[in-house]
Amino acid sequence: MAARGRSRRTLSFSVDSVGINRGESLPPTLQQPTPVFPVMEQKPLPLTGGEEAEYLLALKQDFRGAMRSLPCFIQPAAALRDVERYSDKYHSSEHTDGLMDWTPDWQRFPRELRIHARKPARDGVSVARSDAQSAQKKKKKKVREKEEVLIKLETLQKKEEQQSEEDDDDDNTEQKKKQEDDDADGDEEYDEEEFEEVILYVTCDGSNQSVWTGSGLTEGSVLQETDYIMSYFDNGEDFGGDSDDNMDEAIY
Amino acid sequence: MTAQEVRLCGLLLHEHFGEVVEKVGTHLLRSGAQNLRTIIHETGLSVDLVKKSLMVLVQHGACLFSSGRKGPGSPTEYRSGCDRILRILRYPRYIYTAKTLYGDTGELVVEELLQRGHMTMSGTVKTVADRLTQNMEEGRSMDYSEVSSAFSKLVETHFLQRCPKLAGAGTADSTTSAIPPTPESFPDCYKVPHMTLVGRGKRQLAAEDGEDQRNAKRQKMDSEVDEGIYWQVNFERFHLHFRDQAIISAVANKLDQTSSEIVRTMLRMSEVTTSPAATCTKPLSANEIFRSLPASYNIPRPILDQYLTLLVDDPMEFVGKAGESGGGMYVVNLHRALANLARATLESVVQERFGSRSARIFRLLLRKRHLEQKQVEDFAMIPAKEAKDMLYTLLSQNLVQLQEIPKTPDYAPSRTFYLYTVNQLPTARMLLQNCYKTVANLIERRLFESKESKRLLEKSQRIEAILASLQASGAEPEQLTEVEEMITAPEKQQLDALKLHINKLDSAENQVDETIFLLESYVNSTATSTV
Repeated sequence: MAARGRSRRTLSFSVDSVGINRGESLPPTLQQPTPVFPVMEQKPLPLTGGEEAEYLLALKQDFRGAMRSLPCFIQPAAALRDVERYSDKYHSSEHTDGLMDWTPDWQRFPRELRIHARKPARDGVSVARSDAQSAQKKKKKKVREKEEVLIKLETLQKKEEQQSEEDDDDDNTEQKKKQEDDDADGDEEYDEEEFEEVILYVTCDGSNQSVWTGSGLTEGSVLQETDYIMSYFDNGEDFGGDSDDNMDEAIY
Repeated sequence: MTAQEVRLCGLLLHEHFGEVVEKVGTHLLRSGAQNLRTIIHETGLSVDLVKKSLMVLVQHGACLFSSGRKGPGSPTEYRSGCDRILRILRYPRYIYTAKTLYGDTGELVVEELLQRGHMTMSGTVKTVADRLTQNMEEGRSMDYSEVSSAFSKLVETHFLQRCPKLAGAGTADSTTSAIPPTPESFPDCYKVPHMTLVGRGKRQLAAEDGEDQRNAKRQKMDSEVDEGIYWQVNFERFHLHFRDQAIISAVANKLDQTSSEIVRTMLRMSEVTTSPAATCTKPLSANEIFRSLPASYNIPRPILDQYLTLLVDDPMEFVGKAGESGGGMYVVNLHRALANLARATLESVVQERFGSRSARIFRLLLRKRHLEQKQVEDFAMIPAKEAKDMLYTLLSQNLVQLQEIPKTPDYAPSRTFYLYTVNQLPTARMLLQNCYKTVANLIERRLFESKESKRLLEKSQRIEAILASLQASGAEPEQLTEVEEMITAPEKQQLDALKLHINKLDSAENQVDETIFLLESYVNSTATSTV
């Protein structure tokens, strides 16, 4: 502003009308951005308290808490850590149950948003392992449960029979377990968990036995189709993170 | 869609719907109308997650979809607006208003609808009856008819409305209209379907899991009479109610209780006859007002006339006189009242930030429109140096503007008038954006505080859960005290301080939202009025 007039102290506008009198110094120029938390000359007013404000506060916090438990609160899949852990396989689908509670009215949504519903493995229908597969499969939404389960049972039994024919020489239980691993790797159609279910509950001689999903199991194992409760798969990484602040006791 | 609004919407979506919906929502807000493929590509999320988030957004009315711009064959486009998402800040106020007007039942109905977005009447009634039954004593349960009547009352007074029928939802290529229909454009927007819901609320007992499942299955089998009729909360009606309340309390503060009762009566009488965007209510004669006053106020007729004259003469101009017939025709000037309330807000902001003398200058400029530097000093009776300082501070904060009036065509500085002025509408808009920024900062600070003490919060939650389960299974007091002592005293202090801070920040958000409401109403009223 002052450099325009060839280093003479004239400014571009008339000083009188804006009120700067001769002899008064201008305030110092700013050399850097203003501080992030400037000191306030006037302190702000306190919040209005009262019954209404407290009730509104309680309503707000309750609403937030309630929204977290509704099906419209979408959690992404947990981020993969640096090394793949064995327990990831069992932890990954823990949080998806809430989404099944909401059955939207498809009339009100565009058709392209329709996700083909994945049924939980409990019903005996195979759960697609990846999204691409589920999109490709295009299962019908309305499933007549009994017939579907019967068909599934027959196909599974046929598979077992094929397997047991191949394994006639070896020890049945051990070979079945190995076969299960090999098959699980190579076979895309049948889920591992389903296969485990078959292996665990069908007798060794491979005869036609109906698949039995035990109802006496605990919640955790039935959900994930394993024999163990979910805390079995805790890999000890959370240990030792709890009592770091309280330094009275020594840590061994 | 300013940057501050988008930031605040992102934070609100994150808190209420999770970070996936936040990503999709903020992307839609920033980029305008987009189709599904573009959203998937640009956000980098998986197809399923994007689809679910879009469904959640559409369900809650935050996102609208329409067939593409290029004609019937193009993919559906989704667009989102800031307004609807910013309403989330006001949800506690809506629920509280429903409680004051219609009791606990009304409160729960509105809360359910806000949580779920759209719901059928039967679904809402059942859920609310169950919730009410949970809180009642053993052996009593809430009847569906009570809940239905509360629902119908809410619909009659237009607090709830039917969701507009989305014609293009089933097939993506049928509608060609670009503008989505508003709920008001449907004739039976406020018609409650004829159905009698018979039943009572069910209490959720822990031992009856099997029975509950069977009951739930049976309920699904029953044919739903009101399939496809979804209800949503009518925010505009709530806003009208808040506006009326603001006017009444302003009159009560400025004049006295009786005047506010008179204004309340006038507003109540014109609730149904006034359109939402009207500048003022329909004229009411003094005779009508006298007849409609509540019975507890025994005001004789001449006193009422005096009160009305006082209201008309008041500089705030809440009430105006529109004629002489019928003992005097009076109107409530809604837009002018909103403008005055906004002006009072601006003045108080200046007062609290810069002091009462700066506020005096500000008020002076609001009243006198354009003033020179010298005139400001004279009228405000403030010494020149300080007046100059204050004016420049206000100028640097953009609350006051400088208007140049040239005497000569070449704008020579020595021959130009420089006048200070305040423009109310742009200043109000600027303060509104500041409010959005404030709320976003409050939310971020609250999240920061919770994150800092996350470990402590988790520990206290676990201990509470243990305590609750112990109490439920009937443990001795020693066990309870033992568990309680797992939290040490300094940790307890820390927890208390944390709770206090979080409550303060939450409460502050609610209060800033009240200011946001006033300023928003004012800005919207100037947009629609022809004045």
